[in-house]
Amino acid sequence: MDVLRATGGTYAWFGEPPSEKQRRKIGTLLETPNFYHYLSGERNLRIAAAIKGRGMGDIPRVLDMVKLTERKDSKFSTYSLGMKQRLAIASCMLGNPEVLVFDEPTNGLDPVGIAETRETIRQLAREGKTIVLASHLLDEVEKVCTHVAILQRGQLLMAGDVREVLSNDDIVELGVANGLPDRLSELLAAWPGVRQIKPNEGLMQVFFKEGTTPDTGELNRFCFENGIVLNHLQLRKRSLESKFMEITKD
Amino acid sequence: MKIKNYRTFWILLSIVFLAIPGVNYGVYGIVSAATSGGKGGGAPIINPFGFPDGWHTICYTSAMLFIMQAILIITLTTNEFSFKTHRQNIIDGWSRSAFIGVKLIGVLLLSVLSTLVVGLTVLGFGYFSGKTGAHVSIWLGSRFLFFYFVQVISYSMIAFVIAVLIKRSGLAIGLFLIYMIVEQVAMGLLTHFMHFTPAEYLPEETTDRLIPFPGIHLISEAEWEHSIPGHLIVAAIYLIIYCVATTRYFLRSDL
Repeated sequence: MDVLRATGGTYAWFGEPPSEKQRRKIGTLLETPNFYHYLSGERNLRIAAAIKGRGMGDIPRVLDMVKLTERKDSKFSTYSLGMKQRLAIASCMLGNPEVLVFDEPTNGLDPVGIAETRETIRQLAREGKTIVLASHLLDEVEKVCTHVAILQRGQLLMAGDVREVLSNDDIVELGVANGLPDRLSELLAAWPGVRQIKPNEGLMQVFFKEGTTPDTGELNRFCFENGIVLNHLQLRKRSLESKFMEITKD
Repeated sequence: MKIKNYRTFWILLSIVFLAIPGVNYGVYGIVSAATSGGKGGGAPIINPFGFPDGWHTICYTSAMLFIMQAILIITLTTNEFSFKTHRQNIIDGWSRSAFIGVKLIGVLLLSVLSTLVVGLTVLGFGYFSGKTGAHVSIWLGSRFLFFYFVQVISYSMIAFVIAVLIKRSGLAIGLFLIYMIVEQVAMGLLTHFMHFTPAEYLPEETTDRLIPFPGIHLISEAEWEHSIPGHLIVAAIYLIIYCVATTRYFLRSDL
């Protein structure tokens, strides 16, 4: 968006090098809404429309879409945080762009504002818009996005369907009484749905893919029948944060 | 479009442009009381507000109001940084060079407008005050209007440079005023105590010397006349530096 000077790397919009011409075709909201405080909502949109090279005729539509028509003549400085954010989304929608970029769109909003903003984003997605949303709120990403990419220091760590990348996997923690942890690893590796097994503070953590978590009683019997006596068996839900930490750890 | 409905801007602009004839009228009143010149005063020996001296007097007096225009420019520029609209304008599809270009044109337009107001003020005062001789052209001395333009755009550009670098309104206005004072003090110290004459080419001083205190022709007119080309060239160099520096800074910095 030409806001920061890149130290390296390249990127393209619509298969072309980035330029102001490309930016006019994209609706962008970077963190906070940036408008002239002394102007009304509508006059601010007029400036944005003029810069984007769009006609003024689209302004009533976008104001209506974010439910700001009644307050269009009020000064921007009198808007609530949620209204300011909605005006920013309205500005993004000028000219009905196919691609929208939202960076931390719920930053600083109250719960009502957050809910309103997320619903507006989902509504836009239902209309077929491509929305690139950057967020540190994993819960938000899970609730709003269909696909996710995790970047760290400019490196793409993981990308894919949000249900796969950020799935709330179940973890079963096992403690072995008769000192055969390696045997346990081998045994459970063949269990359907097991994604990963790793030792953690004297216990074994077994990660299961979503929807494949076994009945703990059945798991206990299976171990015992194979010569392993468990002294600890606990089913835990893994948080999104721990999943994220796992992906981003060095 | 940004300033069309910005009431503060129009109030400040009105104050700036009303202050030019207003302050001159005040000085005119004082001078009229002290001399036999003025409206209906016949053919005075000293007629600082008539033709041709009015060009010099009014340009000098008006140039002292540069601070108001500087505040206006600093406010308009820092508003963009405070509201982060400089960033939004770029995101929405302006190029960085277009943004800074529009700002530079704004400074130029304000300076031209201010010069026009001063020109009209000179013509108005000259019309009422008359001429010091029947055959004196009313345009004699009008070069002071050009010197006024050079001075006001130079001060405005200094204010603009500070606004772009500092980004905060109060701080930028404060720094601008401090710089004005510091340069005057430094110039005084360098020229009077250390006899360092190049100090007269400091950014503020070089344009100040284009319009010396009225009456200078009585003491060292030839010297002043001789110095004009040098000061104009240095002022032009400074203006180029201000334009290039602000543009390069804005093109290269993170928004």
